[in-house]
Amino acid sequence: MSYETDFTRRRFLGLAGNAGLATFAARAIGVNTGLIEVLAAETRTGVQPFSFAIITDSHLFSFDNHRFDKALADAVAQVNALTPAVDFVMYTGDIAQNGKEDQLVKGKKILSALKAPLKVIPGEHDWYLDMGKAWNGLFGKETWSYDHKGVHFIGLNSILVRDFWTGAGMSPVERMSTMEMLESPIAGPWGVRDAQLEFLRKDVKKLAANTPVVIFTHSPLWDYYPRWNFQTEDAPQIREILSKFDHVTSLHGHVHQTIYNKIGNLSSAGALSTSWPWPYPPVKLEYPGSQMNQSDPANTKDGMGTQSISFDASGATATYEPFANSLTPFLKDGLKV
Amino acid sequence: MNSKNMKTYLVGAASIGLLGAISIWARPPFTEAQLTEQHQELLEVVNKGRDLWHGSNPQMSSNGLACGNCHPDAAASNPQSFPKWVSEIGSVAPMRDMINWCIVHPQAGKALDPDGSDMIALEAYAFYLYRGQKIEPGLALPTPPDPVTSGVGFEHKPSGIGVDK
Repeated sequence: MSYETDFTRRRFLGLAGNAGLATFAARAIGVNTGLIEVLAAETRTGVQPFSFAIITDSHLFSFDNHRFDKALADAVAQVNALTPAVDFVMYTGDIAQNGKEDQLVKGKKILSALKAPLKVIPGEHDWYLDMGKAWNGLFGKETWSYDHKGVHFIGLNSILVRDFWTGAGMSPVERMSTMEMLESPIAGPWGVRDAQLEFLRKDVKKLAANTPVVIFTHSPLWDYYPRWNFQTEDAPQIREILSKFDHVTSLHGHVHQTIYNKIGNLSSAGALSTSWPWPYPPVKLEYPGSQMNQSDPANTKDGMGTQSISFDASGATATYEPFANSLTPFLKDGLKV
Repeated sequence: MNSKNMKTYLVGAASIGLLGAISIWARPPFTEAQLTEQHQELLEVVNKGRDLWHGSNPQMSSNGLACGNCHPDAAASNPQSFPKWVSEIGSVAPMRDMINWCIVHPQAGKALDPDGSDMIALEAYAFYLYRGQKIEPGLALPTPPDPVTSGVGFEHKPSGIGVDK
């Protein structure tokens, strides 16, 4: 395939110039392996080309004029300026930092400036102060699916944990604080749990195997780094339910970084946040080309931004729209997912 | 070696031996109980550092951000790489200066006393999670250490879910 040849030459020059030859070798292996697998997937039919955008992880505080408010507003402006215009915008969780209603209301207000329709799923920071009451009131159901131009979209709440607070006598604020800390071992692993697994089973039962499926969750649907809940406990069941499809695209938030993986028929890509970038955890990445350069701590917008996904008959391409220059050329030019 | 030099040598050697004997006599080995107590003292400071890292001192932030927001498990803090050139400061600096830079800029807080107990605790937390790592001033690890595998003895026990390999 000519694209593969072009990719190798063009990206070699780009990556070699950006990151140096030593790091290129490792990246090229991962990048090319991923692309070959993705490109080998069966060509889809019945998909009308379109694109959508992802904004995620704004972590708004209650302070007035906080810089994260401005960052989310900038993301909205960035998405509104995309050409061609996106069909809809997906928000993959963590509008709020402390789960407070005022933070969720502020986020909804800033997001209301979007020109395209908004779809939302929750993150743990939105949820554990009142167990989703305010979020549900503002954004509706957290579990949903719909079809758009030949693609089936699914949204799930992947941040559900077992009850760690009742036995410990925790207040709602203590419960929320426990969930706020990324490396807290108290809450245990997240998951979508039985009711949503059943929803998923029923939802995809009648779909043909060649239907392109895109699934949104806050956390990744693979065991990236469970200590930081860069995982979903029942992801294996989700992947099993979706295994009948030729290709499934999983798009998630939570990781605050660019990340790509492929397990079986499921390709995953993580989104940039609008708040702060997480460092990469101590995990050897199978596709190291999806790792961005280390962000500059003196630049409050480095390592953050939005993501746009274009869909056509050959599948999805995720392009990161950084606020600042921390991405490798490969990530800026588009990641085949 | 002439006789004068030999005499000087013997006197020197005897002095060193005597000093060694005195130091052994003056500072006997710690008992197991003492060592345990000392380690507990260290862990208490590490735990205090962990809490400070996650926002227990309001002086350190005016915008809600804490060290742990960008550095979970002290990731990408690389204490073993200090002192090193820090572009944000414009000189070779120890870790405490970098911590204070983060407090003043991204966290919009008030700098800590560089020699105060809070700063010592923050450093103790970060260094403890990176213990066993090679000291290499100027170089940062490409990936942070895994606290699940290197965290033996740390009071905040890992859940076990971090072991996914």
